[in-house]
Amino acid sequence: MRNFRFLFALAVLLSFDAFSQKDSVTVLDEVILTDVRLLYFSNHQVEVLKDSVLKRNGRSLTDLLQFNSGIYLKENGLGMVSSPSFRGTNASQTAVIWNGININSQLTGQVDFNTVVPRNYGIVQVRKGGGSVQFGSGAIGGSIHLQDEMRFNSKFENELELSYGSFDTRGLDHRVSQGSDEFTFGFGVNYRSSENDYDYLGTDLENENGDFETLNLNANVGYKLSEKQLLKFYHQSFLGDRNFSGTLTAPSMSKYKDYNARNLLEWNHFKNNRIHRVKLGYLYEKYKYFANKERPDFSFGETNTFLGNYDYKISFDKIIIDAIVDINHTTGDGSSVMQANRNTVAGTMLFKHQLAEYISYDLSLRKEYVNDYDSPFVYALNVEYQPNEQHIIHLNGSKNYRVPTFNEIYWITGAGSSGNPDVLPESSYQFELGHGIQFTKWNFNWAAFYISSEDMIQWRPNVTGVWTPMNISEAINYGLETSLMFKEKWGEHELVWHGGYFYTRAKNEEINKDLMYVPRHKATGNLSYAYSTWQCYYQVFYNGKVFTTSDNSEELPAYAVSNFGISKKIQLGGNVACTPKIQLNNIWNKNYQNVAFRPMPGRNIQLNVNLNF
Amino acid sequence: MKFNNLSLLLVMFAMFFVGCSNDDNAPDIDQTPVEEETTDPYEDGLLVVNEGPFQNGSGTVTFISEDLTETQQAIFEEVNEEDLGNIVQSMTFKDTIAYIVVNNSHKIQVVNRYTFERVAVIDTDLLNPRYMAIANGKGYVTNWGYTVDEQDDFLAIVDLETNSVIGTLPVELGPEAILANDEYVYVAHQGAWGQNNKVSVIDPTSDTVLKTIEVGDLPNTMQWDASGNLWVLCSGAPSYAAMETNGSLVQIDVTDNEVSQTLDFKTEQHPGGLNIDGDELYFGLDGGVYEFNIDATELPSAPYLENASFYTMTVKDGKLYGTDAKDYASQGDLLIYDLETKELTNTLTVGVVPRGVYFN
Repeated sequence: MRNFRFLFALAVLLSFDAFSQKDSVTVLDEVILTDVRLLYFSNHQVEVLKDSVLKRNGRSLTDLLQFNSGIYLKENGLGMVSSPSFRGTNASQTAVIWNGININSQLTGQVDFNTVVPRNYGIVQVRKGGGSVQFGSGAIGGSIHLQDEMRFNSKFENELELSYGSFDTRGLDHRVSQGSDEFTFGFGVNYRSSENDYDYLGTDLENENGDFETLNLNANVGYKLSEKQLLKFYHQSFLGDRNFSGTLTAPSMSKYKDYNARNLLEWNHFKNNRIHRVKLGYLYEKYKYFANKERPDFSFGETNTFLGNYDYKISFDKIIIDAIVDINHTTGDGSSVMQANRNTVAGTMLFKHQLAEYISYDLSLRKEYVNDYDSPFVYALNVEYQPNEQHIIHLNGSKNYRVPTFNEIYWITGAGSSGNPDVLPESSYQFELGHGIQFTKWNFNWAAFYISSEDMIQWRPNVTGVWTPMNISEAINYGLETSLMFKEKWGEHELVWHGGYFYTRAKNEEINKDLMYVPRHKATGNLSYAYSTWQCYYQVFYNGKVFTTSDNSEELPAYAVSNFGISKKIQLGGNVACTPKIQLNNIWNKNYQNVAFRPMPGRNIQLNVNLNF
Repeated sequence: MKFNNLSLLLVMFAMFFVGCSNDDNAPDIDQTPVEEETTDPYEDGLLVVNEGPFQNGSGTVTFISEDLTETQQAIFEEVNEEDLGNIVQSMTFKDTIAYIVVNNSHKIQVVNRYTFERVAVIDTDLLNPRYMAIANGKGYVTNWGYTVDEQDDFLAIVDLETNSVIGTLPVELGPEAILANDEYVYVAHQGAWGQNNKVSVIDPTSDTVLKTIEVGDLPNTMQWDASGNLWVLCSGAPSYAAMETNGSLVQIDVTDNEVSQTLDFKTEQHPGGLNIDGDELYFGLDGGVYEFNIDATELPSAPYLENASFYTMTVKDGKLYGTDAKDYASQGDLLIYDLETKELTNTLTVGVVPRGVYFN
């Protein structure tokens, strides 16, 4: 509580002065994107990951965020299940939002960050801090937003990239898009396969049973029915066929197949200062787990989600109001989960007021009604203060939640484990103070946060010795995030730096120990230099030590991993450009683990050829 | 076909906890250690076998000096500069050798029990090994096989000279605890992730199954009494099973390998962790420890020790050694009780998920 009062007092002290904020609200944003809440509400918590970054680290969210954010990623070996820790929260407390829809698994509450391919999206944003009011369950540590762009009036673009690298890793990425006045489409496909049999450095072992094959598809279509009406359709699917590798001490024979499909149809109506938006969505997830890949038996789980959403937004001179009604019907089934339904109705109200030229605030409220548990009323208040062009300060407080998953409620009792129908949603309160400084060539941002979480769900044996989820732990997280961007251009030269340092403390309040797998220190750095058609870059991330037991008796050491890449663009005549690229990963051959006993690969190489026509 | 729900959960979650089956103590092979002239570092004291974290990690062995004043963690790693393995299940002694059965690494680490220097590792022809007994100069190791296959459970027969598996013997589902006397090897079939209710009798001269004896549901632990009778504790099917059944304490007369006595618990009672000290049997039930004299004809109605619930328990020479695995993701405790005064005398920090206590 002390930290909270301190932040509040500091914020009040800082809230003087005057400024002018340009309101850049145009209809255009609404046409291009489906989810513009990020532009209007709590927008200074949002970091946009640039196209150049997506090209470099866009093959998975793990790769992207490892080098470009303060998020710690727990990867069970390269390409295996990967989960985030955002601001020291757990894997189910980070939401992934696809075109405005929360796509966290209904079964686990998590997203496997190795099953999301960010490079096809027009915009990828990292929103820090609680966002449950706008984005629902799990947006506690923060949320990752993937958005397709509707590119009306754009020329035909065709991009093909082939790659080959160490461990017999092959990749194919293809993207096309075009847009006329009325019609636009985009399509992307990403295929990757790897033997993934890298050596475990310092041992005579190798990564056995780690081979994988994945396919990702993205498609979007936009059609203007009239001046005022716009129809959009989005699709994304992912197919994974992965063997799960063992650990340093235990071999594995397991195999995991998963399939995720997301569809969204959207109708927009624009009239003066009002926008009506109706969305219909269908999400499907299924996995099959083979404990022994040589045998036919498997276990499975699947969910179907049907959702409807009505969004009414009205803008006045100084005020924006956005009212949203969501309905959601999910069915779940599986070999270990009871057949179950969940129906949710949620109402959200977002209100933004430009109090004066230099200060604005937004207030948002959400109440949800669900058939199988009581969902809390959640709210957020955000104040933005911009004394001049260079500085912007924001202060934010919110209540957030994470709903119990199908596994947690409906896990079939047997073999020593059971779901718990009485488990409550996790809830958290948080505060944040941030400051951004922006100049032509550089910008610097910092934010301090404080999160207090209660009723955190953990699986423990109950009185009869059966493992079951219970609301037992409380946690306090706090920290400081900083990031610096710098850009200099002279002649044909360009130098860009982007990096950050992140300090995080996450403590289990019961026992006053650090939570497992939360590094106190993380740093990232990306330096790129371009001269004419040449480009090279160096990128590094540093993870401080993490504890691997809850009493902090065991730990993994700190490490830094660096990549280096060099490319040259060759104009082949006409509109065809070819860019060969060499990327050296882990160039210092660091032996590291981000999950204990699961070593990551040493130095390895990847060759790419990119064709643009 | 039956799936191990817990390991599935583990696959789906990025979380860490231990598999939980109802088995308890390792069979206690009554061996008199061979006295040596010089004192080896781990010669006198307790050895606590710790499973280690379930998903990714290594188990350890903690050494506690005889006077309980010194504790040394992870002695195998210390001596051999290598990890012991994932899910250390049990340890069996023969003379100066200790056989450490590592379940999820599918291996047996063979070490000198007093120095902990590794002698050999047996890592072929084992699949989910659980416990080991010694008979006729050979080792007999219970194996679950693939957990999804209920037909492939077996005993691995180990040549103790070459430290290699020389044969396998298919057995009924879920072989768990294993004990040997001069004549036979007895295997309790708890049922792995399913359930079973048998004790099989193996002839170690021919390495064949002589007989299967039906006992109560889910036999988890066995002990010899002074007259050579075999006592088998069965937990009964748990409340979440298709049909809950009572626990039972079964006595087997080894002269004819027939059940000579069965004492039934109530349906909702599921005891575990059978131990013997003199003529007193001890077991854990509903958060207490019960005492039962082998000549008694009725099960005790009240606990001998109240509020005493352990992950596993071992009784020796008037002392009870109980383990506390806490949250299964941190160092556990060893709790020592004096059974005469019923007082908790010592609490010692051991490794992650302490499974068994052994005496050097």
